[in-house]
Amino acid sequence: MARSQGLRQGSPAFEAEALASLDSLYRTALRLTRVPADAEDLVQETYLKAFRAADSFRPGTNLRAWLFTILHNTARNRIRDRARDAVSVDSEVVDRLSELPPPGGPIETPESLLLRQTMAPELQAAIDALPEAFRQAVWLRDVEEFSYAEIADMLSIPAGTVMSRISRGRRLLFEQLNHARSVHV
Amino acid sequence: MPGPSMSSCATIDPLVTAYVDDQLSDAERALVERHVQACPPCHARVSAERAVHDLIRTRRGALTTPCAPRALHARCAQLQPRGVEAGDHAGRPAVIAFPDVASRAVQAPPKAPATPWRSRLVPLAFAASLVLFVASAFLYQLTISSTHVMAAELAADHVKCSVLNGILHTHDEASAVESSMLNGFGWKMRLPEGAPKAGLELVGSRPCMYGEGKIAHIMYRRSGEPVSLFMLPETGRAQEVVQVLGHRAAIWCDGKRTFVLVARRPQEEVEQIASLLQASLK
Repeated sequence: MARSQGLRQGSPAFEAEALASLDSLYRTALRLTRVPADAEDLVQETYLKAFRAADSFRPGTNLRAWLFTILHNTARNRIRDRARDAVSVDSEVVDRLSELPPPGGPIETPESLLLRQTMAPELQAAIDALPEAFRQAVWLRDVEEFSYAEIADMLSIPAGTVMSRISRGRRLLFEQLNHARSVHV
Repeated sequence: MPGPSMSSCATIDPLVTAYVDDQLSDAERALVERHVQACPPCHARVSAERAVHDLIRTRRGALTTPCAPRALHARCAQLQPRGVEAGDHAGRPAVIAFPDVASRAVQAPPKAPATPWRSRLVPLAFAASLVLFVASAFLYQLTISSTHVMAAELAADHVKCSVLNGILHTHDEASAVESSMLNGFGWKMRLPEGAPKAGLELVGSRPCMYGEGKIAHIMYRRSGEPVSLFMLPETGRAQEVVQVLGHRAAIWCDGKRTFVLVARRPQEEVEQIASLLQASLK
């Protein structure tokens, strides 16, 4: 993961590099909010905070990861402010699904079949259908390519939990995509 | 072959994801590989995780295709502290003034130390944010047509296209650029002959999206740095030089066209290049 070395907080280069992450922040915000208008609002608030708090960015660390951390903190605060129970409900789902035994049966469909037959829209829909905690972890790791430690920072959870959520998320995706394919076949 | 014990499965379990992500040490990787060869359930688990990991990586290009709306790019660029000139970084503290559209109550960013006086302002800020939240919708309509927003959008295009040129090794002849301006925009023009003497090396041209239509983007390089000239089929802009996104944008109108020169250069240099282009392009 690229380090933002030599970037001075508040400098034009800092601001330009921060704005270069806007598209990926927006995509991640869409995964979090599922509503384009809310995603735009979330990204805008993220940049407002980032530019105001530019002094707290440590040069030499990953500016993109820092922005994603602000994005996730802002999203969490918004959920909390709206007094929704989305987090706790999702946590219940996480706990329940985490107790499921790993798929023990033989895998009848090989990896190559999944790769060849699953198109991006189907994959996107399957990712969007994941419970939020798994969706965030898989998205940040496999699409945005952050490290476990960076994701742990963003989501304020231990790195071990990040890995278990990625693992469970991938396996849920695998089961879901295989199921969808068997239905279509 | 004897089956693996339950304890060995429990040992392998926390390593599987890191194994799929290729984040294990050689010793750990060998441990996992030995185990999964002898344990069908763990083998299936690794295969499932790897299949999804590989699938997402394969389709990553399509998954990352949706981009943020241009208006959001412009709004976020507007959030940068204003009045921070290059000279300000030399010593005196920057004066930060944010546009009204962004002045809503925000919570402290991560790792920013909370201060007691800030917490006392929260109720006031919350009340103010309610007012501004409603006002922001109107303010946005006002600012969307502002010169600063336009310059921010074009500066973003300037940066994107210069990166793209580096990847594509864009190099168009002057005749090709003039032809594409005529065919794409009905703009019969001649590139300024004095440009090379002024150190402007032609890179090429590209149509860019702006608002609901296309605009012309002619790209130069000067002293190794990109210089962009945009032509918009609109009028009514005042002649001025604005600073945005760390770049300067010189704006002028001629007939039914607006021209915007964007470069990360000192003001005098931008004005000098703008004068040269303004004299030649109609």
